[in-house]
Amino acid sequence: MVSERLLWSPLRLGPVTLRNRVVFSAHLTNYAADGKPSPQHAAYYAERAAGGAGLIITEEHSTHPTDWPYEKLIHGFNRDVIPGYRAITEAVHAHRTPIFAQINHNGGQASSMYTRLPVWAPSPVADPLFREVPKAIDRAEIDEIIAGYATVAANCAEGGFDGIELQCSHSSIVRGFLSPATNRRTDDYGGSLANRARLLLQLVSAVRSAIGPDLALGVRLCGDELIEGGTTIDDAVEVAQMVEATGAVDYLNTSIGVATASLYMIEASMHIPPGYASFIPSALREVVDLPVVGVGRFKDPLQAERALAEGHCDLVGVVRGQIADGHFAAKSRAGQVEAVRLCLSCNQECVGRMGLNRWLGCIENPRTGREAEGVGVRRPVAIGRRVLVAGGGPGGLQAAIAAARNGHQVTLCERHELTGGSVRLAASVPNRAEFGDLVRNQFAEATRLGVRIETGVTLDAEGVASRRPDVVVVATGSRPARPYWAPGDEGRIVDVTDVLSGAAAPSGRVLVLDELGFHHATSVAELLADRGCQVEVVTPGMVVGQDLGVTLDLETWWIRAESKGIVQTTELVPMGWEGDTLSLLHHPTGAMVERRVDWVVLAVPAAPADELYLELAERGVEVHRVGDAVAPRRAHAAVVDGERVGAAL
Amino acid sequence: MSLLDPIALGPRTAPNRVMFGPHETNLGRGRSISDRHVAYYARRAEGGAGVIVVEEASVHESDWPYERAPLATESEPGWAAVADACHPYGALVIASLGHAGGQGTSHWSQRELWAPSRVPEVDTREVPKQMEAADVAAVVDGCGTAAAMAVAAGLDGVEINAGQHSLVRQFLSGLTNQRDDEWADRTRFARELLEATRAGLGSDAVLGLRLSCDEYAPWAGITPDDAGALAAELARFVDYLVVVSGSIFTVAATRPDTHEPAGFNLGLSASVRSAVREAHGDCVRVVAQGSIVAVAMAEGALKDGAADLVEMTRAQIADPDLVAKVRAGSVEAVRPCVRCNQQCRVRDNRNPIVSCIGEPRSGHETTDPEPPGTPVTAGALGRVTVVGAGPAGLEAARVASLRGAEVMLIDAADRVGGSVRAWSGAPGRESLVELVDWLEAECRRLGVAVELGRAVTPGDLGRLGADDGHLLLATGSAAGERGYAVTPAAQVVNAAELLARLQPAPVQASGAWQEGEASNIADRLGLPPGPVAVWDPIGGPIAVSVAELLAGHGRPVHLITPDQIVGNELSRTGDLAPANARLAQAGVSLHRRRILRKVRKRDVEVENRFTGELERIAANSLIDAGHRLPDDTFADVDRSVSRAGDCVAPRTIAQAVLEGRRWALSL
Repeated sequence: MVSERLLWSPLRLGPVTLRNRVVFSAHLTNYAADGKPSPQHAAYYAERAAGGAGLIITEEHSTHPTDWPYEKLIHGFNRDVIPGYRAITEAVHAHRTPIFAQINHNGGQASSMYTRLPVWAPSPVADPLFREVPKAIDRAEIDEIIAGYATVAANCAEGGFDGIELQCSHSSIVRGFLSPATNRRTDDYGGSLANRARLLLQLVSAVRSAIGPDLALGVRLCGDELIEGGTTIDDAVEVAQMVEATGAVDYLNTSIGVATASLYMIEASMHIPPGYASFIPSALREVVDLPVVGVGRFKDPLQAERALAEGHCDLVGVVRGQIADGHFAAKSRAGQVEAVRLCLSCNQECVGRMGLNRWLGCIENPRTGREAEGVGVRRPVAIGRRVLVAGGGPGGLQAAIAAARNGHQVTLCERHELTGGSVRLAASVPNRAEFGDLVRNQFAEATRLGVRIETGVTLDAEGVASRRPDVVVVATGSRPARPYWAPGDEGRIVDVTDVLSGAAAPSGRVLVLDELGFHHATSVAELLADRGCQVEVVTPGMVVGQDLGVTLDLETWWIRAESKGIVQTTELVPMGWEGDTLSLLHHPTGAMVERRVDWVVLAVPAAPADELYLELAERGVEVHRVGDAVAPRRAHAAVVDGERVGAAL
Repeated sequence: MSLLDPIALGPRTAPNRVMFGPHETNLGRGRSISDRHVAYYARRAEGGAGVIVVEEASVHESDWPYERAPLATESEPGWAAVADACHPYGALVIASLGHAGGQGTSHWSQRELWAPSRVPEVDTREVPKQMEAADVAAVVDGCGTAAAMAVAAGLDGVEINAGQHSLVRQFLSGLTNQRDDEWADRTRFARELLEATRAGLGSDAVLGLRLSCDEYAPWAGITPDDAGALAAELARFVDYLVVVSGSIFTVAATRPDTHEPAGFNLGLSASVRSAVREAHGDCVRVVAQGSIVAVAMAEGALKDGAADLVEMTRAQIADPDLVAKVRAGSVEAVRPCVRCNQQCRVRDNRNPIVSCIGEPRSGHETTDPEPPGTPVTAGALGRVTVVGAGPAGLEAARVASLRGAEVMLIDAADRVGGSVRAWSGAPGRESLVELVDWLEAECRRLGVAVELGRAVTPGDLGRLGADDGHLLLATGSAAGERGYAVTPAAQVVNAAELLARLQPAPVQASGAWQEGEASNIADRLGLPPGPVAVWDPIGGPIAVSVAELLAGHGRPVHLITPDQIVGNELSRTGDLAPANARLAQAGVSLHRRRILRKVRKRDVEVENRFTGELERIAANSLIDAGHRLPDDTFADVDRSVSRAGDCVAPRTIAQAVLEGRRWALSL
């Protein structure tokens, strides 16, 4: 029974008709090589087309040689991109799905690192991320920009795209002109909104001329830049009206934030409520007749349907939802909502890899980013083997899934009453609950594939032998390790996992030691602060929770930490514990400091629980190990290990 | 003994004693040695380098420490091409082989890291897998195979990395080897690996070892006291040994910037060399490494017995013709390496290509034209005028002159060098001035007419050649906008202005100010007494060095930044952690995550980025180390008049030199 009537209804965007309202909006992938789209691009988009997306919009194509802010950018201005474009569009069209190309110049939101040319922008205002003062472009250079857009739009048309989207929203020279924060010009491109929008309107006109009437043209606008002196919703509404008035545009897309200043609100993690940016399409839709795309952490079809039903938007951008599950739309359309591998909004392997110049992946979908290599494809085996998986965390579950997919008979034994391993603990903190979807999704998939799951069963070598498996995968995870300075019998020094499991209940003054640099310390610090503890988080590093920056969780962590009175102290290394006092070394100066506390909570590297593996290996059993039992790492490593080992059996 | 004397390295003979050491370049394509590598190394061979060690290749697929890290099994064709390109000039070509072990990353391989013990990587906190016996065997075999491939490719030998980022060092050190099996004998792995490598090489090729002889972690690491015995034990397997230092806690020690003294490893090299000679005589050569950029220091290292050869890597990135110029007797013509690390240090997620602020063609040999090395016929390009004698104008004048132009270089100041002179007036930045001094000397040697103290106005441009395209404006930058309120009695000084007040800066190699001059300088600072606030929205080197300068004069200093980390942009040069340590040691108060809102006579008001709360910091003056604006003297002059450097957009020396050169080459 499909209840989402609006979501699955067709819609016309100018010359293009979409079969449904689910848009795979533009996002960086870092799949390009040497400025050209790659076979991985084609495989990646084709997967989402096959999976039922209504519209695919590619990542940006640069319109001019002065624009090269990150290494793996597609240089749309070179004609050698066209064969790659054709490969993408043919692969997507094979699934009767339209695909648009986003074209863009990032303006001042760039550096000269790759171009070895001055950065071009409306005014010499340095970007807050790249911190390079740009060259204020003159009239001739503005004309060159416009010509570049027209050229690239024509290249895209030749490459078989069904439409063009102008990204004028979160990282663009057009945004730079639109925004009072970056446009200080005194000529007729600066000052009034009409002047600031002049470049946009000229681009619309030039691009429409270049592509003719047969391709759709969209404009993506930012509804609130969330920066001082930046564009807000009133300006955006007015610009939307100007764009509509050209008569040359077929739809509007929306966005919030500036990629180089307020990215944490563009690609919001699970700490920001879903639908947080819907006020933008809502406001635009009140004044224009053009179809409007809404974005902002749309995770499931029901939520998307509601946004349509409530009139916030005409189409829904589902990016991470389709990164996590390329068949999000098809499964939802078929009423199999429970089969959708729900996005966690953890940002660890998608967003988190983009800023680091790495290819886009997904924490729970090892196929993402590896479509062209065929990862995750079912390869039936002639004779299924009896596979025994010891441990039901993310590594063990994924090994079971991959093995069962290919036709092996898989039994998974988990010593606890529930599967999920350490992910369950991590997700037990209220604002990290969505992280638990990782192992819920895996459990559902394993069950569907016929994996026999036995919980409350602890396997030892004898137990393994008695089950007579053909092959064993050990996924027994890790156990807390005690640092050298912490007396073994000191009950007030406990591990993060002790607090999350309820085995320990610290109170009073609590020092949380962060040697992992991720959610472990910050999660438990918040939990304890909420319970009334006085919490200080201490790290030997320069920032508490350093990798929260990568997943865009650092800003919101700081806001919450400040409001909860959590103190954060850096560059301290614990040296010893005496009575109720922890002594710490301030390593830059060599000074010793002390903390008198009631409890110390450790977020420190764990030790692999590798005894079963070592014993089985010793006995000559065919045994593989995955996840933390190899080396305690993050959930993604366990999933990747499990997929690789399970698929190779 | 001279740098230019040939020297035997085991079975081969190097034409001279100057080594171009292994370093990350990001010149690769995929994980292979590329055409860009070939051109890069060939240019150094052409310039006379005696021994060229190619960028390290991973000996096993378990190692993928950075995206473009070469993999030995994919390097054979590239090695062969490098050998073919370099051998005609006489250089020996060596492949560096290694494995980063627990200092790698899993982000590219999507596999666990391998290490002797489960010691987390210091920066990423990634916990490696403790290697099993089969893993050890795989790496050892990988070395043997790679060595055989190197010989098959026509290389002269290989060098094993047991230095900064290396699995071999991780086995050698008590910091990272906590095993209780047979590899608890910490040299065992190195011995197995060197034996396998030698077996793969055969007897006719060179085997070298790059060994960290001081891990700066005496509680468990390799110390200079142990290093002699360690080096002597391992030297029996090799033909040469490169003495390096650094470890997991001191990653910048491989190639520190100017905050470490030049030649910082020379004492260590001398002591290790004497231990090696005692054990093996002169059949194992010792190579000194560590910020050796001056020819005189290199010669001194040989004369003093610190080494048999000298690694001068950055010096040959800055000037590929270093050896040729020494041979020609014109040491002064060698473009100086100023050890700034701004362009040559490329261990960075963005994969920047190795280059040099003073020699922008480095790393770009396949695409950038090369200026003539010696002047072509004088007058071939007619008259050329350059307005502004900073790095952009100087480089433009130098190259135009080499191309045969009659060049007039005009500047309003009474010295050439532009803003570089002021910017090099703060601690740790003194050496930058050497580059403009060299440019000036070259210009004068080439006969550039330098006219100082002359302010050019827009009305002068026609007479100066604006109409025939032979005029370049390179007039630098001006004060930037202030995004905060300043009350009338408040003292706000731009960092550039503050440093300009100290000109002419006392030139000192150590970076310390001499006593006696201190009070004089304090007067010249021209700041009201008492605490000083420094506002740094950039996170580059300027604010840090200004804070150090002021703290060095006994001023209480408050450094204010919107960032989570002070000196946020310094990781590229390797100075991020060292800068923070120096500031802490100097007692500078750090105000992170704060936005400057208002400057008053006695305090500054800052806003907490996460709570919006306003705080006051007592300070009697504020130094603004923010972005600057282009000089606007010629803002209304037609765009057909060429411009270069900061007057286009205020950036760094690298862009200024590049644009100055490009203009001169375009004439």
